[in-house]
Amino acid sequence: MTVIVLAVTQCLFLMIAAPALVGYVRWLKARLQGRRGAGMFQPYRDLRKTLAKGMVIADTASWIFHMAPCVVVASTVAAAALVPVISANQAGDQLGDLFALMALLILGTIFLALGGLDPGTAFGGMGSSREMTVAALTEPTLAIAILSLALTAGSTSLGTITNTLLTTPSNAIGPGHALAFAAFLIAMLAETGRLPVDNPATHLELTMIHEAMILEYSGPYLALLEWAAALKLTLLLTLAANLFVPWGMATSDGAGALAVGLAAVLAKIAVLATLLAVLETRVAKLRLFRVPELLAMSFTLALLAATSSFFTR
Amino acid sequence: MDATFSRLTMTGASAMLLLALVVMWRHHVPAYVTAFRMQSVALAFVGAVVAWLGDVPELFLVAALILGLKGWIVPRILAGMEARRPGERELHPLVNTEMSLLISGGLAVAAYEISRPLAAVVSLPTRGGLPIALALILVSLFIVVSRRRVIAQIVGFLMLENGIALLALLGAYGVPLVVELGVFLDVLLGVLVMQALVPGIEEISAG
Amino acid sequence: MDAVLVVALLAPPLVGAALALLVRRAPQAAAWFNAVTMPVSAAAAAAIALRLAAGGAPVIVGNAWRLDALSALLALLVSVVATLAVWLGPGLDRRGETPGAEIRLHRIYANLFACTMLVAVSTSNLGVMWVAIEATTVTSALLIPVRRTKAALDASWKYLFIGSVGIALAFAGTVLAFVDYATTGGDLELALNWTTLRTAAPSLHPEVAQLAFVFLLVGFGTKAGLAPTHTWLPDAHSEAPAPLSAMMSGVLLAVALYAVARWKAIIDVAIGSAFTDTLLLVVGVATIVVGSASLLSQTQYKRVLAYSSIEHMGLACFGLALGRPGVFAALLHLTGHALAKSTAFLLSGRIYDRYRSGEIGTASGLLGTVPATAVLFAATVFALAGLPPFSLFLSEILIVQAAWRAGHAALTALVLVLILLAFASLVTHLQRVLFGEAGRDVSRGEPASVPLALLALPVALLAWIGVTLPEPLRMLLTHAAEVVRP
Repeated sequence: MTVIVLAVTQCLFLMIAAPALVGYVRWLKARLQGRRGAGMFQPYRDLRKTLAKGMVIADTASWIFHMAPCVVVASTVAAAALVPVISANQAGDQLGDLFALMALLILGTIFLALGGLDPGTAFGGMGSSREMTVAALTEPTLAIAILSLALTAGSTSLGTITNTLLTTPSNAIGPGHALAFAAFLIAMLAETGRLPVDNPATHLELTMIHEAMILEYSGPYLALLEWAAALKLTLLLTLAANLFVPWGMATSDGAGALAVGLAAVLAKIAVLATLLAVLETRVAKLRLFRVPELLAMSFTLALLAATSSFFTR
Repeated sequence: MDATFSRLTMTGASAMLLLALVVMWRHHVPAYVTAFRMQSVALAFVGAVVAWLGDVPELFLVAALILGLKGWIVPRILAGMEARRPGERELHPLVNTEMSLLISGGLAVAAYEISRPLAAVVSLPTRGGLPIALALILVSLFIVVSRRRVIAQIVGFLMLENGIALLALLGAYGVPLVVELGVFLDVLLGVLVMQALVPGIEEISAG
Repeated sequence: MDAVLVVALLAPPLVGAALALLVRRAPQAAAWFNAVTMPVSAAAAAAIALRLAAGGAPVIVGNAWRLDALSALLALLVSVVATLAVWLGPGLDRRGETPGAEIRLHRIYANLFACTMLVAVSTSNLGVMWVAIEATTVTSALLIPVRRTKAALDASWKYLFIGSVGIALAFAGTVLAFVDYATTGGDLELALNWTTLRTAAPSLHPEVAQLAFVFLLVGFGTKAGLAPTHTWLPDAHSEAPAPLSAMMSGVLLAVALYAVARWKAIIDVAIGSAFTDTLLLVVGVATIVVGSASLLSQTQYKRVLAYSSIEHMGLACFGLALGRPGVFAALLHLTGHALAKSTAFLLSGRIYDRYRSGEIGTASGLLGTVPATAVLFAATVFALAGLPPFSLFLSEILIVQAAWRAGHAALTALVLVLILLAFASLVTHLQRVLFGEAGRDVSRGEPASVPLALLALPVALLAWIGVTLPEPLRMLLTHAAEVVRP
């Protein structure tokens, strides 16, 4: 019983905290750029406002246009259910493992791209093609980076991975772990559409990837897609924190351990979000044809990490 | 103690391999020279660790020589070569950046497979890094054959020498001192002669 | 006595280089001193060779120097060719055309080059052998661009760079063998001594030994001009000045093959000869193909000689893979090639001096302008083409015979066809050079005849060996073959 409650709570936590995370990153970037910033909870107000607005849908849109936001939200929420957040005793392990997580993420990506293509506008098509270029390299990188951890742990279920690392911390010393972490972070930047791959704050058509795909959406659909993007960022940051630096997670079901686990994950996500904001302030966006080079580098790092894990089992 | 020895040397070896990948990734020649310098420092670090934990005192001298020769003198010569005749960035190597990186990853996997018999026979605690040394050798060879700019090829050649030195350090705690000194002398003379010849031949497209 | 022999072998080129370095103002005097002292080295080598031919013990000095029959053969070849190159080098002619700086440069580096080659074949430590062979690259690369043309600089760079990369791979192979030996718990101080490795060879691990040999073959094969890393050879040997080309083509390639043979002797004891033989067969045949096929389309006579070197090195490599009779034939082939190729390059230097052009089309009518040189040149090219009575005919026949007896029928047929193709190409080019009309600005009559008389000696030697394989040489070759294939 507690297991199910815990699982649902973790998932709900991610879903509710997502806009706050995005708000925090935006606020911190604003502060670093010398502006006052709109406050951490502004995205909630934005979502409420957008949900209340009416929708304008193109005549050329088909059922895919309507289905895309639903599929994106559903797949992202399902992926969030698989992520170990507070406790290392994962109920989500019975739902799916690394491969299910990757499959859900790519499902969302594909439908988002299809939704961008569907109305037949130029910007949507351009954004979708760019997104698939990026996704072709980031999805394998994310998978192989986590796979290198899975090879050491002997299982692809995420809970087991975190548990193994908690019990034998010496596995984390050495090149494989650091390489996989670096590869995961770079791929995560690309997957969630952050700088230096894609600027989340731009509306210049030549530089958009994610924003181009959702350009035709308005009203509740837009709110759903924005929220799904925030949720994706949150779940990937949580994965990065909990798979690679799992210390602080609860290994038992006691209230004290759970509280510590919650505090730990909040702290880790806050640190990663701060680093993200600082990085986004410092770097410029890469030109699009340079993006595959960066992603190829991260893929090679992941491949090296997995190779060294595989051969030193 | 053995575990620390192994982890330290593996970290140094992995750093060396990553720095070789930097040559695939970046386009600026000064970045290549810096990567080589850092790689030589990492090699000196591995040498010092082997000297300390493997109880081979003459390797301290070797590590110092590596630091001095490959970590300071040779990068200065290379930087001087580049400053005297600054060329273009390596924008169009014979194999483009993405493919270069993927091929390097593939070569690393191949190196792990090829070095399996070697890692099986060596019983030293440093044997975990042997595949990385062989991967560095293969990746450096790939750098040599796939770059257009001559100085990038020279950096690849020097990284090849670093990889072989790493192989010797990890596999047998270094080669006899006489041979080691001979190798240093040869590398220094080689780079000096290359430096003398390069200004006349920069226009060749492939070596 | 052994120490005296080794010093007499190695000192003359070293002293010659040192003298040329220190005596700035009288390069001609340094050149003459060099010419007088170099034969001492050849005499020492001959003495060592005679002793080993008679079945004597190897010349050993401490743990550092060891000359067995194989070393003695190579040392003899190197010192004889080096002596020839010194006698025909710049600075000795009375007219004094070459500038003093060039004479000095040449004497310093050419002597160092000869010294490094001698060290490579006389050392007992395979690591020192590697260092010496690397040093040959460095010392010879500086001498190639004497004429400062773009082509010469390009050729020198290619030679230096490809040679260095190859040598680095050979070092990787050396390190792998060393690591393997170290795992057997042997004494690490003498680990790279050839005798130590040979005795410890049965306990070396098979796959590591295979991996090491692959690296060693690719590495030293690059220096020997074996395919596919031969691309530096035609440029380097054709752009270099004649005495340097003579040494590089005549003996440096042979020294690189010597290194391969030394390692083969060890690896064969470890894993049996099937693996190395197969590799050497494939590489050898590929090299012969490259050499023979490229001969016909050449337009410069020095490049013809260079590709001919590639073909002959391929034949020697092929012979090394064919058991003891094959090794005997390969070593005889290296002997004949050293004499013939060095003479051919030195004669081509005289041709270049007369015609001022490397093109076959321009340098024609040789028989009319410099008849004696032409006759000698024709003789050396016939020797290289494998015609009797010269010794290369004998060695080629022996190689083909060994291949046939070893059961490689298809390969034997292919090699025969390639030899015939090379023969046809060489004779065609020779005919174009000998006959025809020389340009009007080419003067007639031979320049100084002493060098010509000197160059007639190797040709006579080739004929003598080819007709009657002298007993001391045959014994030396037999003992040397036993070193590689016991």
